[in-house]
Amino acid sequence: MGEEKDLLSALLLELRRGTLTISVLSQMKEPKYGYALVQSLEEKGIAMDPNTLYPLLRRLEGQGLLESQWETGGAKPRKYYRRTEYGTQVYEQLKTQWESLSAAMERMLREEDA
Amino acid sequence: MTTEEKDLQNRYVYQVTRCLPKAQREEVRMELEELIGDMYADKGSMEAVLTQLGDPARFAEQYRSGRQYLIGPEYLESYLWFVRVVLLCVAVPVLVLSLVSALTGLPAAAGQDAALLILRAVAAGLRNGIVNALAGCVSAFGAVTLLFIVMEWQKVKIETRKAESWSVEKLADGQKPSRPRWTPRFLEPVPDQRAIINRGESAVGIVFMVVFCVLLIAAPWLFSAVFPQEGAVIFVPLFNLEQWPTILPVFVLSLVIALADEILQMVMGCYCKLVMISNILCGVIQILLCALLMKVLPFWNPNFSAEAQAALATSTSKAGEYLAYWNADTVSTVVLAVMILITLAEMGTTIYKTLRYGAAVRLG
Repeated sequence: MGEEKDLLSALLLELRRGTLTISVLSQMKEPKYGYALVQSLEEKGIAMDPNTLYPLLRRLEGQGLLESQWETGGAKPRKYYRRTEYGTQVYEQLKTQWESLSAAMERMLREEDA
Repeated sequence: MTTEEKDLQNRYVYQVTRCLPKAQREEVRMELEELIGDMYADKGSMEAVLTQLGDPARFAEQYRSGRQYLIGPEYLESYLWFVRVVLLCVAVPVLVLSLVSALTGLPAAAGQDAALLILRAVAAGLRNGIVNALAGCVSAFGAVTLLFIVMEWQKVKIETRKAESWSVEKLADGQKPSRPRWTPRFLEPVPDQRAIINRGESAVGIVFMVVFCVLLIAAPWLFSAVFPQEGAVIFVPLFNLEQWPTILPVFVLSLVIALADEILQMVMGCYCKLVMISNILCGVIQILLCALLMKVLPFWNPNFSAEAQAALATSTSKAGEYLAYWNADTVSTVVLAVMILITLAEMGTTIYKTLRYGAAVRLG
């Protein structure tokens, strides 16, 4: 039983991993700091641990999809991320792929139900 | 935030950042302090915040997620093979040399004393040999590992460069990526079972050649006719040791060429055009070098016959009569003829197996 549970959580983790980048990119048109992003994703039903999100943001920045800036004017320094132009191009392509993939998945899963 | 909570935060941030590259530490520290501060404001308890963030080691792992190995899966199999062969090539010659040097240092003795002395010498030789072989193997292992790490590193660098050269703009412009697209035409033909080269045999060949090479360099007098006399052993060398500095490089070069051919066979693992070309080239060079050794250079000990007969003078053996027929020229001709026959037979086998069963390997 325990093994089955482990397998299921490993499979779910794998399934979710593929959606992380597109989820994050979708929220980054306007500048956002890390924890605000965690909350906004959570509100939309995408729970993402901060220990996954923060390293991911740095990776996406390294790939040129996001850019960051430290705001030091407030009570404490905050790092704001936003999509670069290149990030937007990649995001648009990912979105098109996602739409066709999710439509196909839906058709396939409905077939199974029927 | 209490002092205790601030201390907990500092400890957590330190645990995450200490495993990261120096260049990243400061910025990650600031990011984490910002995050923990925000979460603390939301949850009101440092304990709850840090529990949600989880093990700092796993957090650091996420930051480091990249290449986490020295030798990757692409090189691992070749690396393991290479390590085994190199370790054998180091351990066997070192053991053999240690035994030989222990035995040749024996004082003259007869009867039971001699047996005891030999046993002791063998034990001492083995002990030294094992210690030296272990030390040699550790160095060889380190050197091979370093070599493969550099290979892996170089490959990773190349891949990074490729990743940089790719971009969405280029795709949109319809530019082709610099690397040709894979098509089924890239598939290598499946080698016939009869075209497969036994790697174990190649490894044995390689070890044998290395041992021979080391003995030629370190103990050429070992290739001698041995005459046990009362209380002493007389060695009459077969080779011309006075001219050895001239002869040795040619001899070793010939072995190194054979070794290179054998290593290539082991790496390729089957008969193919590359193996065939290498075998033909190495074979031809080896025949030429053998002819040089046998017919041009003063290879054999010129006094072999006289020295051997002198050593046999006291013994009643009939071997002395046969030694009278020793003729360096004839021996050279026979050795050269045998060597040519063996090399041609091997070349013939390789050509036949390559053309009949071998896989075509692109040389570009």
